[in-house]
Amino acid sequence: MMATTWTRPWFWAFAAAALAFAATVVLTGVQGAGGLLVAALTFASFSVLVGLGQMAVITMGPGNVDLSIPAVMTLAGTLSLKLMGGAAGTELWGLLAALGIGLGAGVANYALIWLLRIPPIIATLSASFVFQSVAIWSNRGLRIKPPVSLAEFSTGSTLGVPNAAWIGLAAALVFWMLIERTAYGRRLSAIGQNARAARLAGVPVEGVRAATYVLSAVMAALAGFLLSCFSGGAALNMGAEYLLMSIAVVVIGGSSIAGGNSNVPGIWGAALFMFLIVSMLNSYGLGAGVRLILTGVIIVAIVVAASGRRLTP
Amino acid sequence: MMTRLMTATAVLALATPALADTAERRIALSNNYAGNSWRQAMLESWEKVTGQAVADGVVAEAPAFTTAENQATEQAAQIQNMILEGYDAIVVNAASPTALNGAVKEACDAGIVVVSFDGIVTEPCAYRIAVDFQEMGRKQVEYLSGRLPEGGNLLEIRGLAGVFVDDEISAGIHAGVEQFPQFSIAGSVHGDWAQDVAQRAVAGILPSLPDDIVGVVTQGGDGYGAAQAFAAAGREMPIIVMGNRQDELLWWKEQRDASGYETMSVSIAPGVSTLAFWVAQQVLDGQTVPQDLIVPFLEIQQDGLDAALEATPEGGVANVEYSLEDAQAVIAGASN
Repeated sequence: MMATTWTRPWFWAFAAAALAFAATVVLTGVQGAGGLLVAALTFASFSVLVGLGQMAVITMGPGNVDLSIPAVMTLAGTLSLKLMGGAAGTELWGLLAALGIGLGAGVANYALIWLLRIPPIIATLSASFVFQSVAIWSNRGLRIKPPVSLAEFSTGSTLGVPNAAWIGLAAALVFWMLIERTAYGRRLSAIGQNARAARLAGVPVEGVRAATYVLSAVMAALAGFLLSCFSGGAALNMGAEYLLMSIAVVVIGGSSIAGGNSNVPGIWGAALFMFLIVSMLNSYGLGAGVRLILTGVIIVAIVVAASGRRLTP
Repeated sequence: MMTRLMTATAVLALATPALADTAERRIALSNNYAGNSWRQAMLESWEKVTGQAVADGVVAEAPAFTTAENQATEQAAQIQNMILEGYDAIVVNAASPTALNGAVKEACDAGIVVVSFDGIVTEPCAYRIAVDFQEMGRKQVEYLSGRLPEGGNLLEIRGLAGVFVDDEISAGIHAGVEQFPQFSIAGSVHGDWAQDVAQRAVAGILPSLPDDIVGVVTQGGDGYGAAQAFAAAGREMPIIVMGNRQDELLWWKEQRDASGYETMSVSIAPGVSTLAFWVAQQVLDGQTVPQDLIVPFLEIQQDGLDAALEATPEGGVANVEYSLEDAQAVIAGASN
């Protein structure tokens, strides 16, 4: 059992997260461990939500990446909070509006890719300018508070686990089912491994692509909604952190950056790691320069370790 | 006839002193970034004040232009376009203190007045309305020393790593800690001037910090996030210096009403763009203006909290718009 666990591509992300956790706890003492774990679970869950969508997109192979994630998060957070206006009883409408915005953004992204034959990188980047501008135009950067019930839910816990983490776990479970147990998941991997072969084998390539870009945008919208409820309002730059984060958790989590091979558990391991590494380096009082260098070096080391293990069966 | 016209002009000149000379002049705003609430408020203040100035016939027009990508190269091209379009003055919030110097020099050589503010440029021919960021950092520690004479552990929340403003404010904070050695900085995180990033960073470092954090020194836009992180960890609330955002002020008021919480708030008013506008207008008007001016801070103390909160739009940032008289006072202050 140990031997097989060891060779799983997600193993290294969890191992690194556990090491970073242990190194921080050495400094904080055992009484700090609980607080750190709760914080890690909470903040990792936002990265998980965007990372899962990005993973599906990247799995479709070279050239597929969704650069509109930050703008979709901002737009969904801004518009849904404006719609709710902080009033009780509007929570469901707010959530539906956010998901609807994600749906619309995903359709817009795919329309640019398919109708205008623009490469996905350019299409999602240019669409993100439009989304960001609509967010600016709609509210000029004013932070509207979420309804109290949503603020309490998103910052609260159930059975000792933060609610945000429950949502992240549920989303990961759904994605695992989708990728491992459905025809959609098989088709996604087939396209990523060889799009031409997949098309000749009868896979509806464009249909799967459309569904995947929509899925990624809906996940970004959900993350934006949850994050703006969690942090007391949407901000125009709230998504900025999550572009590189969404790609980093995919790569560190053991999914293939070249596509064709995705890994859901690794997303959680990588998201926990990305939070814990910053906490660890902050706790040791290292400056920003050293911190960024070490983060980069450690990420490269994990990716090398994970891919090295996969080559030797 | 001639006499009557001259009398009319003289009466006009009396009614609007020192303004008539710039009525045909055109001033453009070159702005590098619009993606946060401070910059949005800055643009709104510009629109409001220059709109009124145009209506009053002080200047002919004063449009604002923002670059999409926050890149110095893009802004340099934008300034070159403004030169070609023949503006008389360019007011600039610069993406970089040095990378725009070439374009700014071209503008000066073409006889255009360049006034930089907030994000200033080092090119000597431009006017600079600078923020004393170091003093903004030092002041926070000074305030804490008044509140907590016995000192203690501080948490420092910094801005975006690698940005000049972050280094300056942080240097001021460290200078303040040297001046008041009863304080020591127990931990330092980067909050990127955003509540959600600050919240995450503070939540991550709190478990490793000692229990007796007495104060949090900040850079603006991060105080509310820090408060949320302290509350979530169930820790005693330290004195968190705020940065004039409405959600920070509202939180402060709620804490004050509940438990008598006291702190202060300091930042730069986004309306500083309007100060730069009037300075440009004064230069065009032929007034003698020193090349280097300093922006006054907008400070909110405990007794001014309610008034400040009332005047700040929900979800926005506390603001002041400057008038011609304010600009003249700043100029006179710097000339002495």
